[in-house]
Amino acid sequence: MQQKHGNIMRDPRVFRGIASSQPLKFAVSPVLFMSLSEEPTTRAVGPKQVRRKLRARTPEAVQGRKHVNVQTESYLEELSDIPEVKETECQTDAFLDRPETPIFLAAKTGKDAATQIYEGDLFDFEEEVQPILEILVGKTLEQSLLEVMEEEELAALMAQQRAFLERRNNELPEVHRLQEQERRRREERERRMAEQRRALEEEQEVAEKIAARALTQQQLADLVPSVLASLRREGYFYDPVERDVETHFFPRLMDDVESILQKNCRARELLDGQTLCFICWSLWFGNLVCFWFSNLECGCECCSSDLFVGQRGLTT
Amino acid sequence: MSRDSDAPPAPVAFGRWAVPLLAEQLRLPGRDVRLRALAALIDVLRQPLRGPEALTEGFLQQLKVLLEDEDPCVRAKVCQLLHVLAAHTCGRQALLAASFLPPLSQLLEDPPCRRTVFLLLSRLSLHSSGRVSLLTLLPKLMKKLQEEEEEEEDEVQVLFLSLLRCCFQADPEAALRSDAVALLAPKLSNGALNICKAAAAAMMALSVPMGGKVEVCDQKVLPAVAALLQEEDEEAQLNATGVIMFAAVTTAGKLQCLHLNVLPVLLKLACDRHEDEDMRRRRKPLVMNSVRGLTMLAETPEGRRLLQDQLPLLRRTSEEEEDVDIQRVFETAIQVVTFTP
Repeated sequence: MQQKHGNIMRDPRVFRGIASSQPLKFAVSPVLFMSLSEEPTTRAVGPKQVRRKLRARTPEAVQGRKHVNVQTESYLEELSDIPEVKETECQTDAFLDRPETPIFLAAKTGKDAATQIYEGDLFDFEEEVQPILEILVGKTLEQSLLEVMEEEELAALMAQQRAFLERRNNELPEVHRLQEQERRRREERERRMAEQRRALEEEQEVAEKIAARALTQQQLADLVPSVLASLRREGYFYDPVERDVETHFFPRLMDDVESILQKNCRARELLDGQTLCFICWSLWFGNLVCFWFSNLECGCECCSSDLFVGQRGLTT
Repeated sequence: MSRDSDAPPAPVAFGRWAVPLLAEQLRLPGRDVRLRALAALIDVLRQPLRGPEALTEGFLQQLKVLLEDEDPCVRAKVCQLLHVLAAHTCGRQALLAASFLPPLSQLLEDPPCRRTVFLLLSRLSLHSSGRVSLLTLLPKLMKKLQEEEEEEEDEVQVLFLSLLRCCFQADPEAALRSDAVALLAPKLSNGALNICKAAAAAMMALSVPMGGKVEVCDQKVLPAVAALLQEEDEEAQLNATGVIMFAAVTTAGKLQCLHLNVLPVLLKLACDRHEDEDMRRRRKPLVMNSVRGLTMLAETPEGRRLLQDQLPLLRRTSEEEEDVDIQRVFETAIQVVTFTP
């Protein structure tokens, strides 16, 4: 049955005004209300508010009686002041995140296919281990090869040295021997040449000596007579008696002669001197008597000779 | 080479950080840390291509400092490390350029390091520039030869003598000036065969120049050499024939050799035939030395007379010989024997 919806503004159940002003009147169920107001609404007269005010009401209760509301329906309904309140709450979850947009999955098309992997399909040990083994073995071999090569390098260096020494020892003694041989032969040759030269020189010397001797002999052949002649000429061959007379006798003789002559001369000189002295003395006597006396005592010879010389100087 | 100290090696970083990190550890003060780092370095650098990684300037300077460390184990390990480095050519060149020789020469007196130092020096002598640098060590080596003690092991002595041989080969004149022949002569009659062999090799190097030959004859070395010739060992015979071959160039040497009755021995060595190819190839230098010695001795009248008796044997051996060099040497000998003025 379609109920007529009243205007919410004119619904008596909606309380208007302050909550503390009047107690609530009995709420009239909407069914009752509608049924009550079903017929009159078709014949409504006047505005609604007026109609409500002028509506016929139940007469007042007789004294001692009270009107009581009674339910006369078939089913009793519990009436209470307190309306049946059922509280239901509805609350959205606090801070519920917006769920993510589901990934768009295209609708599946095509055929389904299945597959299964068995042992040995993905991983084969024998195959996989090969490169690892190769690397391991290769690296080990490489290292060992390098070590061996290093040792060989050192050994090769030493072998090279030894080979060089051998070659050197092969050639060197031969060279030394030949050098020594050459030296010996050269020395021998030089010795022999020196000997030869010496022999030649000696021979030459001998020849020269012989020639010189011949020449000298030739030259000296007539040397002796000429020498003797010149010696005789020089007076080296002398008569000893004559020489003796000449060297010893004659000088003595001459000396004696000379001394005698000298004596004569001297005597004459003395005489001359004396004469002059007397002459001078008579001239100088007045002033220098004492001096001449003293001089006279020391010796007539010196004063007279002095005087003599002085006088000679004067006179000449 | 076994590790002398029982320290396990230090952990090694991967790749190119291995050597630098270990080098850092070498700078730390603790002895054990250094030993372990050195052991690890030896292992790392012994791997084939990793040796030259360590050839940076700083690292080598560090090693030089460590060579003068107080602890002998550290010094020995550093010597081992240098020995490993010297296995490469660039390593040897770097060691020579960084002038490691003076500190190494100090270590020659150090008992634990001596053997390694000798091995290292013999590796360095593989280069001609190395040999020239080794000549700077010659005075020290001669002094060591002079004051040699008898308690040293044979191996070290052999190494020492082979090192001397390298030096003598490079510059025999300098060695002769320091009286090398007189100092080396006692070694020839020493007990062990190895030492005699090595001494004979050194003497051979010394007798190359004329002065050396004269000294060898003067110092009466040849009797000991002739005794060495009688030994069965091939190398001993080789070295002895070498000395005789060089010394017999001088007249005095020739006469001494004849006097010592060396000629029959040389003849036997020269004409001894072996069927085995390898044996013949190995004996080739010995045969050549002997024949050259015979040639020298054939220049004396007495030698020529003795060899003229053996002329058929010489001719026969020369014809049977396949090697061209030996044939040529035999022909020279025959020429000298049949020489008439």
